[in-house]
Formats: sequence, C-alpha cells, structure tokens
Amino acid sequence: MDFVQNFPFFSIILSMFSGIISSVLPKRAAKWVNTVMIILVGIFSFILLFYMIGRGNSYTYMMGHFPAPWGNEIRVGVLEAGMALFFCIIMILSLFGGRKKLDEELEESKHSLYYILADLMLSSLLALVYTNDLFTAYVFVEINTIAACGLIMIRRNGRTIEAAVRYMIMSLLGSGMLLMGICMLYDLTGHLLMSNIHEQVSALAVSGEYHVPLLVTIALMSVGLAIKSALFPFHAWLPDAYGYSTVSSAAILSSLVSKGYIFLLIKIIYRVIGIDVFDGSRIIDMLFAFGLMGMIFGSLSAIKENDVRRMIAYSSVAQIGYIYMGIGMGTQAGMEASVFHILTHAATKSLLFIAAIGLTDVSGGSRKFIDLTGAAYRNRWAGVAFAVGSLSMVGVPLFSGFISKLLFAQAAVQNHVKMLPALIVLGISTVLNAIYFMKTVIRIYTPVEGTGSGEGVTFKNMKIYVVTLVCFIILNVFLGVSSQPVVNLIGQGLAMFS
Amino acid sequence: MQYMILSVFFPVLAGVYLLIKKERGNRKYLLVSTGAFLVITAILVVLALCLGREGMFTLFSLTERLPILFKIDEISVVFSVLAVLIFLCAGFFSFEYMKQEKWEKKYYGFYLIILGVLLALCFAGNLITFYLFFELLTLSSFPLVLHERSKEAVMSGLKYLFYSLCGAYMALFGLYFVERYGNTLTFSAGGVISDQAVSNHMGVLLLVAFLMIMGFSVKAGMFPMHAWLPSAHPVAPAPASAVLSAVIVKAGVLAIVRVVYFVFGASFLRGSWVQTVWLTLSLFTVFMGSLLAYREPVLKKRLAYSTVSQISYILFGLAVMEREAFTGSMLHVLAHGLIKAALFLCAGAIIFKTGKTRVEELRGIGKEMPVLMICYTFVSLGLIGIPPTGGFISKWYLAKGALTSAIPVFYWLGPVILLVSALLTAGYLLPVTIQGFFPGEDYDYGALQKKEPSFFMIFPVLILTILSVVIGLLPEGVIGYLSQIIEKIV
Repeated sequence: MDFVQNFPFFSIILSMFSGIISSVLPKRAAKWVNTVMIILVGIFSFILLFYMIGRGNSYTYMMGHFPAPWGNEIRVGVLEAGMALFFCIIMILSLFGGRKKLDEELEESKHSLYYILADLMLSSLLALVYTNDLFTAYVFVEINTIAACGLIMIRRNGRTIEAAVRYMIMSLLGSGMLLMGICMLYDLTGHLLMSNIHEQVSALAVSGEYHVPLLVTIALMSVGLAIKSALFPFHAWLPDAYGYSTVSSAAILSSLVSKGYIFLLIKIIYRVIGIDVFDGSRIIDMLFAFGLMGMIFGSLSAIKENDVRRMIAYSSVAQIGYIYMGIGMGTQAGMEASVFHILTHAATKSLLFIAAIGLTDVSGGSRKFIDLTGAAYRNRWAGVAFAVGSLSMVGVPLFSGFISKLLFAQAAVQNHVKMLPALIVLGISTVLNAIYFMKTVIRIYTPVEGTGSGEGVTFKNMKIYVVTLVCFIILNVFLGVSSQPVVNLIGQGLAMFS
Repeated sequence: MQYMILSVFFPVLAGVYLLIKKERGNRKYLLVSTGAFLVITAILVVLALCLGREGMFTLFSLTERLPILFKIDEISVVFSVLAVLIFLCAGFFSFEYMKQEKWEKKYYGFYLIILGVLLALCFAGNLITFYLFFELLTLSSFPLVLHERSKEAVMSGLKYLFYSLCGAYMALFGLYFVERYGNTLTFSAGGVISDQAVSNHMGVLLLVAFLMIMGFSVKAGMFPMHAWLPSAHPVAPAPASAVLSAVIVKAGVLAIVRVVYFVFGASFLRGSWVQTVWLTLSLFTVFMGSLLAYREPVLKKRLAYSTVSQISYILFGLAVMEREAFTGSMLHVLAHGLIKAALFLCAGAIIFKTGKTRVEELRGIGKEMPVLMICYTFVSLGLIGIPPTGGFISKWYLAKGALTSAIPVFYWLGPVILLVSALLTAGYLLPVTIQGFFPGEDYDYGALQKKEPSFFMIFPVLILTILSVVIGLLPEGVIGYLSQIIEKIV
C-alpha cells in the first residue's frame, strides 16, 4: 500500500483534532491552526488527486481491524479527491474573504468557537466525501448539521437565532428521513457498507422482491437529502440562514454544506442504489420536476427581493434546481453537468456573497438596493467581483456559468423525453437570472452625486479581501476557459463510482 | 494570421486602458489617444485583411469540440471595412460632440471595446466564437445606451439587455442542435448540416433554424422583437446612436448571413415554411417601420424607426435566397451603414448647435447650417433610393432579385412593399429638408444666425455622404468582389 493512500484518513482526523485542540487555544492560535489545517488538507488532497489520476482506479481503505462486511471503510476515487481539494480551496477563500467582517461582528469570546465549528465542518464534509459506509455518512451528516447551525447563529441576534432554529428543524427532518431510509436499507439488505448494499440491491431489483419498500427507501433518502440541500419546495430555511449569518458562514453554507449533501446523494445513487435502479424508479422524475420548479421559482423570489444578501440566497435555490435537474436527467452527461455545476456554483456564489459584503459595508451597512446605488465606485474591487460573479451566473461565455449551461443543454439534447422541458426552463431561468443580477450590477454602477472614488477603501487596508476576490475571479475564469480537463476528470471520477 | 487577432485585441486593450486610467481632467490627452487608437486599429484591420486571408487561427478551446476560432472571408471583409469606417467617422465627430456630455472617458473606453468586439464578430470562424462575441457585444454596447444615466436611459438599457439576452438564448438553443447534427461548427459556404441529419430530423432542424433566425434578428430589430431598438438607440449620445444604428444592428445581419448561408445552407431552407414566415415578417417590418417613422415627431427616434425598416430590407433580401437579392442585401448593408451614420451625425450636430430635437422645430435649419443640411438631403435621397446614390443600386438589386425568384406571391408583393416603403421614407426624411430650406413666407429672416458646426463635425458627415454617393456611382467593384463568394453560397 502506498503511503499516499493514508491521506484521506489523515485529512479527516487532522481537521477533527484541530477542532478539538482549538477549544483550549486562544483566538489567534485557533485561527492559525484552522488556516494551517485547511492548507495541509488541501495539499494532501492535491497530492492524492494526482496519485489517483496516475493510478486510474479507485481503492478502499480499511478503518480499524475489521475487514469488509463488518468494519468501516473509506473509498477514494478521482472525484472524491478532487472534491476534497475544491472544498478546501473554497473554504479557505471564504474564511479569508470574511475575516475582517468576522472580527467586527463576533464577540471576543466566540472567535475560537467559530474556528472550531469551521474545523468540524470541514471534517464532516471530508467524511461525507470519502466514506464508504452509510451509517458513518449519517453520523457526519449530523455533525455537519450541528456545525452549520453554530455557524449561522454565531453572530447573535434575533434573526440569526430564528434562522438557525428553522434550519435545525428542516435539517433534522431531512436527516430523520435519511436515517429511516438507511434503516430500511439495512433491513432489506443486512449491510451498511455501500458496495455490499449495492450488490444486494441489484439482486433485489433483478428478482423483483421488495419492490415497494425499495422504492420508499429511495424516496426517503432522496427527499431527506433534498431537504438538507434546499431543493425547492424545501428551501424555506435558506434565505434567512444565508441572508443574516456572518458572511463567511453564508459563503461556506451556500457553496459547501448543501454541496456536501448533493455529493452524498450522487454517491448514494451510484454506489448504493445503482444508477440503473435509480433511473428505473419514479423518484428521478420527481427530482427533475422539482429541479425545474426550483430554477423558476427561486429566480422569481430573487427578483422580488429588496435585500441584496437575500437575493443572492434565493439565487442559490435556483442554482440548486439546476443541479437536481442534471441529476434528474438520469444520464452520464447530466450527472457530469451537475457535478460541474457544483463547482461553478460554489466558486461563484461565495464570490458573490463576499463581494456583496464589500458593497454593503461602503453603503452604511445597508443591504437595501436603493442604498447600494453607486457602491461599485466606493469599493472598486467588490464592484468588479460582483459583476464577474453576476455574469458567470447569467451564463456569459468565458465564465464558468456558461460551461455549466452548455453541459446541461448538451445533456438535455441527448434525452428525448426531458429535452424540451429542460431547454425551455433553462432558457426562462437564464433570462430571469439576467433580470435580477443585471439589475443589481446596474444599480451598483449608477453614479450618485458627491461621492469620490474609493473613499477609505484602498488596496492597503484590505489586502486579504482583495486577494481573495482576485483568487475567486481567477477560479471562475479558469473553470470557464479550460473546462475540458475538469469535465474529463469528473467523467473519470463518475466512471470509478461503479 | 496574427494581424487578425491583433486587430481584435488592440482596440479592446486600448479601451480597457482608457477605462482604468485615472481621470486627470486632461481632455486633450484623452482625445489624442482615442484618435490614435482608432487609427492604429484601422491600420491593423487593413493589414489583417491584406495579409491574413489564408487559414484559420485557433485562440484556445472552450471545450474539446468548441474551439475559439477566427478566419477571414469576403463577408468579413465587407462588414469589417464598414465597421472601421463608421467608427472612425463617428469617433472623429464625438471629439466635438462629447464636450457637452459627462463621463467622456468611459464613453471612449467602451467605444473602443465595441470596435474590437465587432471586429471579432466579423472574423469569427465558427458558431461558438460568434456567440461568445455576440454576447460580449450586447454587454459592451450596453453602457453606451446607459450613458445619460437618466431614468429613461436606464429603462431603455434594461429593455435592450432583456431583448438581446432573450434573442441570444434562442440562438444558443440552436447551437446545441447544430453541434449535434452538424459535421462541424466551423462556418463553411453552403452549410455544415450532414445529409443524414437533414433527412432524419427535418422538422427539428427547421424549427432550430427558425429559432436561430428569430434570435439573431432581435439584434437587427425585426418584428416582433423590434421594440427595444426605437427606445435604446435614440437615448445614447448622437455619435453612439450612429454607431448603434449603422453598425451594431448589422451584427444581427451578419449573424443571420452566417446561420443561413454558412451553417444551414440556402438550399436547405429554400421553399420551407421558415422562408415563408421570415419573408412575411421582414416585409411587415419594412412597412411597419416606415409607417412608425412617418408618425414620429422626434428626429432621432424617427431615424431609429427608419433603421427598423431599412434593416428589414436587408433581411428580406437574405430571405429571398437568390444571388441578386443577396447582392442587393450586401450593398444595402454598406449603403444603409454609411447613410444612417450620416443621418444620426446630422441630428447630433443639430442638437449640439441648437438643442432642437423635434422635427417641427427645424424650420429654417437649412438656412442656419447649409452645408450640413445639403449632406442630409443627399443621404436622404440615398435612403429613399433615388439614383445615383448607393440606396438606389441596392434596392434595384433587391427588387430585381425578388422579381426573378420563383417564390409565389412574394415575387411581386416584395417589390410593391419596397416601393411603398420608399415613398414613406421620402415622407419622413424630406420634410426636414423642405422645411429647412424653404421655411415659408412668415419665417423671420432677421433672426437668422449662421450656426454651421465646426470642421470636426462637418468633415465626418461629408466623408460619409461622399462615400454613399460613390457606392451608387461605382458599384461594380463591390459587386464584382462579392460575386466570388455569392457563387459559392447561394
């Protein structure tokens, strides 16, 4: 066994233990531990990704001393390693981008707590990505929920507590359904490891036994994870949670937490249920339909919104709709498009959140559109970043959003039944996206009398913020211009799943 | 080869440089650098057209099957020469006109970027490259519409953006299918759709072709997606309106030429329902645009409606899909570009000197600005189609092409509507001249002041007028040049 194969295990343990150690460390130290840990995990994932590309097939890693059907396992392929790397990049950029705001908004005693939660969040995300055991996945789903609640209400005011309670209720409903699904699967198959369940499920599907329970199981797990990742119509918790929490939390929640669940769902589809059985069930059409509805209603809500943070949050509902639409197409191409959109959306949405905070800060802290007039002249970098993020979301070529839409459309053209609804809704939602994002961009670039350029906001006093924005923009353009290698990797990774 | 890409990048980079440069209130520096950038771009384009004709140039690949690719053919030459000419003239005009406007630096910055994007559109070698720059054209021309930042400007700008994005999406919809059913995405004379796909998926492909034509014709202002044009063009500063109306709408025409003759192929669409619907819509737009222009009291808006009508002349010629009609369309692209730019610059000069915008206020304007108004009269005659100006030749070919085609009903209906619309054109353009030079007995000659605009304003208008007449006198060169490619594609 190569030493590199230990890296996933190291990553999970490292992030979890840095959370534990941080609880006794002072604020500054906790911050450093967190930063160093994320960078280390990122490097691990990077090396692992190259190792996996060279290796060409996936491997399983035994946790502890018990072999397969009883023990716990980690499974690594190209897609897992790539996702882990991507999550690390987004996490560290989100934390850097919101650090200044974090220092202002948080009580002194809460700082180290915040980093503990961030550490736990990363460890649970990594575990969701790597695990080969359904029950372990459930445990880390719960850890993830708790960490997410903490991240939402760490900035204590009425709105965030309400948002956190809402999130908690919806999220627990989702995990409850997931747990019920896992229990039923255990009853049906007698296994908890993904590969073993998969064998049994295939056998059940062939023999036709337990048809209804299997269908119910698939439905429970899909809906549970859909609630947790805010698929329309289960998105009621989302705008408050993303809209009022501190900006790093909003960026992490929107681009990582919901994506972790979606990734888990994709894993379940491929590794537990099996893509054929899943395609054969009606659940896939339901996901497709809800995805389409989310694309339209999320955008409509975003158009009506008068608060820029909540607008961006509602836009997430629409974007998650895109991802579920891709999953719902039930083809390899659709799934590739969805995974690519996970990357696109994560890179763009966190950019938008962090750019928006720069704009609201120079507008007297107000998030109303009317007060944002001309904000792009007061903070030029945030203005440019917001414009780039918006163009990417609208789907202008050269940015990552265009490639996503291209992949979705190419996938749709291959599926004769779902082609027409997918393309029509894709068109409508593109136009709706254009309405609210361009409206905002025009608003922030409309000059108002009596404001100089860049008052008080210079490169010097917000170096980290600007560098973060630039990194995000580069990431976006990279995904938009040289998408082919990334898409190839995703295809390779999905092939390794089965 | 490299000249081609240089002529695209240079104006874009120059524009970005102007935009990010700190404003120091040094107007002269701004004007000199803008002028220099425009001239250098023109030289680069000429070099590209002379030296870069062979082969293709791949910039990079968006995905494996979608390269960003440039190549030059006869169609690119026509459109790029027109773009550069009008940008030079309108740019020269702006040096004087933009004195009264705010945010000048921004204006010149975007002006140069648009030129670069337009050139990229002319040189685009495949559909995805074309789509990319088509979107960028919408986004980069958007600030010109918004320039005044008034409520009206913002609303028109949003309307423009909304229509254009809708249109571009309809076109993108087609791109997915062309990628699936075409042999290649690269433009090639006569079409790229494989024969097998044509026989198996006739219905879908016709629908796709229709959607692409409709989508791209939003930019060209064809009914029913024309409403943005009369509101967006006049709110921009006059030289920007000239560029928008004379060149940027031509991007829609170029798109349709590429889609119909270089992707689907004329033989595929000839005789289909797509052709019938397209002919109907374009003829209707010709008539409706003229009628609306006739009723419009504000001069710049009247000219914008006139653009709606005149561009549909071009689209009608393209829809006929015969050699002579195609020749007529290409000639009208040139003639209309030169004439409409001159008309908008005249309107701009009048606004700059007198502040008058409505047609009925312009009594006696010919006495105040004789040279300008003589130019206006000449180009108006051109647009109406009176020999020996450019408009006559192009309309002659359009009508002749329609008459010799074998399309039922349209072979006679087309020329009739073109004639009626020409009458209406006379009706909406000439009153300005008549009232201007012959204000009537009760006109107070005592209060008459000479208000002739300065050299900076007159010169571009003169050049454009002369060119539009020259095209009418010596069309042989253009026709001969175009015939090589027309042989291949129609």
